[in-house]
Amino acid sequence: MSCPDHIVDYMHDYLDEEISEREEQELRKHLHSCSDCEQHFRELKKAIAFVQNTSHIKAPDGFTASVMAKLPKEKKKLEMSR
Amino acid sequence: METIVKRRIKQVIKGDQDAYGEIVELYRDKVFQLCYRMLGDRHEAEDIAQEAFIRAFININSFNQNLKFSSWIYRIATNLCIDRIRKKKPDYFLDAEVPGTEGLTMYSQISSDTVLPEDELESLELQDEVQKEISKLPEKYRMAIVLKYIEELSLNEISEILDLPLGTVKTRIHRGREALRQQLKNV
Repeated sequence: MSCPDHIVDYMHDYLDEEISEREEQELRKHLHSCSDCEQHFRELKKAIAFVQNTSHIKAPDGFTASVMAKLPKEKKKLEMSR
Repeated sequence: METIVKRRIKQVIKGDQDAYGEIVELYRDKVFQLCYRMLGDRHEAEDIAQEAFIRAFININSFNQNLKFSSWIYRIATNLCIDRIRKKKPDYFLDAEVPGTEGLTMYSQISSDTVLPEDELESLELQDEVQKEISKLPEKYRMAIVLKYIEELSLNEISEILDLPLGTVKTRIHRGREALRQQLKNV
C-alpha cells in the first residue's frame, strides 16, 4: 500500500472535527479510490461507536451518604466557629 | 449547572457541609463512571471516586473558582486512578517497549496472545468485551479515550484536566483510537 501518510492523519483530524474543507475533500476522494484506507476509516469509526455505546453506569446506591460520612468533621466545626 | 455549583462551593467554604452533598449528587455518576472505565472494577472505582470527593472537600479552599468544578474533580479523580493503576502494576510496564524491538510493547504481545476462541467470545456480553479492550489500552491513551468518548469532553477540557498541551492530548487520542481499531475490528 503506497498511500500518503497524511491520509491517516486526515482521518483523525476528521474524527476530531479539525479538518479543513480542502483536506476533507482530499480524504473523501482518496477513500473512494482506496479500499484499504476506506476499511481503516470504517474500523476507526466502528471502534469509536463501540466505546461510545458502552452503557452509562451510575454510582452505587448510598454513594453520596458514604462520602458525607467520611468527610472530616473537625473542618466543619472549625469553619463554623469563625 | 456551574452557577449552582459555584454557589454551593461558597457555602461549603463557609462551613455548610450539607451543601457539599449536593455537589456530590451532581457529579457522582460521572466521576464513578470515569473511575470504573479506567480501573475496570466496581469496588475499586467506588473507592477511588469517594476518595476524589473527599480530597476535593478537604482542599476546597485551594479550588480556583474561575475554573469549572467538573474539570477540577475530574483532575483529582484521574490522578487517583493513575496512582492506583501504577500501584497495582507488577515490575514491568505493559506499555514499555520490549528491549531490542522497535515499537513493540509488552501490551501488543499480550493482546495478540489473548484473542479468545469464537465460542468463548460469543458467550461474553459485548459490553464486557469492550470494557476489556479499553482496559488493555496503555493508561495514558485509556485516560484520553475515556474522557473523550465516555465522558464526552472537548479536547480543550481534556487538556485542562490532564494538564497537558492540546497537541499531546490529540496524539494520545489518535494512538488510542488506532489501538482500539486493531483490538475491536474483529468484534
